[in-house]
Amino acid sequence: MFRHRHSSETPSLNTASTADISFMLLIFFLVVSSMDTDKGMRRQLPPPPQQEEQTLDIARSHVLQVTLDANDQVTCNGDTVTLATLAAKVGQFAAADPEQNVVAVETDRRAHYDAYFHMQQTIIGAYRQAGLPPRISEVPRNEAQEGGGRP
Amino acid sequence: MRRLRRRTHDVPELNTAALPDLIFTVLFFFMIVTHMRDVERKVEYQVPQGERIERLAHKSSVCYIYIGKPFGAPDDSVRIQLNNRLATVDDIAAFVRAERSKMSPDDASRMTVSIKADRQTPMGVINDVKRALRDVHALNISYSATNEQQTKKK
Repeated sequence: MFRHRHSSETPSLNTASTADISFMLLIFFLVVSSMDTDKGMRRQLPPPPQQEEQTLDIARSHVLQVTLDANDQVTCNGDTVTLATLAAKVGQFAAADPEQNVVAVETDRRAHYDAYFHMQQTIIGAYRQAGLPPRISEVPRNEAQEGGGRP
Repeated sequence: MRRLRRRTHDVPELNTAALPDLIFTVLFFFMIVTHMRDVERKVEYQVPQGERIERLAHKSSVCYIYIGKPFGAPDDSVRIQLNNRLATVDDIAAFVRAERSKMSPDDASRMTVSIKADRQTPMGVINDVKRALRDVHALNISYSATNEQQTKKK
């Protein structure tokens, strides 16, 4: 009888500080969280070369040779071009034969990444404007022996 | 006059019982959204700016390769950082395999390697990295970049 009365008098839990505690946690996660979403230019690499490599012969006229030299200068089929002209050339070239076209990109080992990135963006942009999927074949210039080599 | 005073006394207290629930909801949102940065940057880099860039979805299937100048190193040095240490091109294969084994099969199949490289990196390094990635069948890559408009605003 006595015990029963005692239990009925249990005071309710003071929850005034719950808000403070959760505020602390909230602020912690607010500070820690990095909302920045990573953005970038997506590319698909070709699969590694197999033993029975089959070479694909493409007529010279279906290939647009784009070269990035050591001074970040873009060359298109032998002519030095700016990025704007490159976009126009790639657009024309892709539209001329939507089925068979390849842009062969060759980069010098000493060229800068920034120049390469903008060149890629230009080519992809030109393809997108023409409404075609980009077809870029990358040919790393083989000068690992003489060039800077590995870091 | 007297009536007015009595009325001000009668304003009921704001009920804050729902406040913790509210805050908890916001808290859970941030707990789920948050992505703990477990990598300490050892190289300095500034990614290029671009217009035609896409967001990288599925954070759990992305692994990062940082390329840049180590802090305190001379200006022309370029190093690769994998996880928390500086590495060379030869370590990339092991790194990719380790990352892939950590992922669920679903994530591993759509694994994307995000290359965060400095603008001044020579292409030779990038080409070496790409060749190494190609050899371990990590074929989805993304050249990390920032939006042109965004950085102009800042």
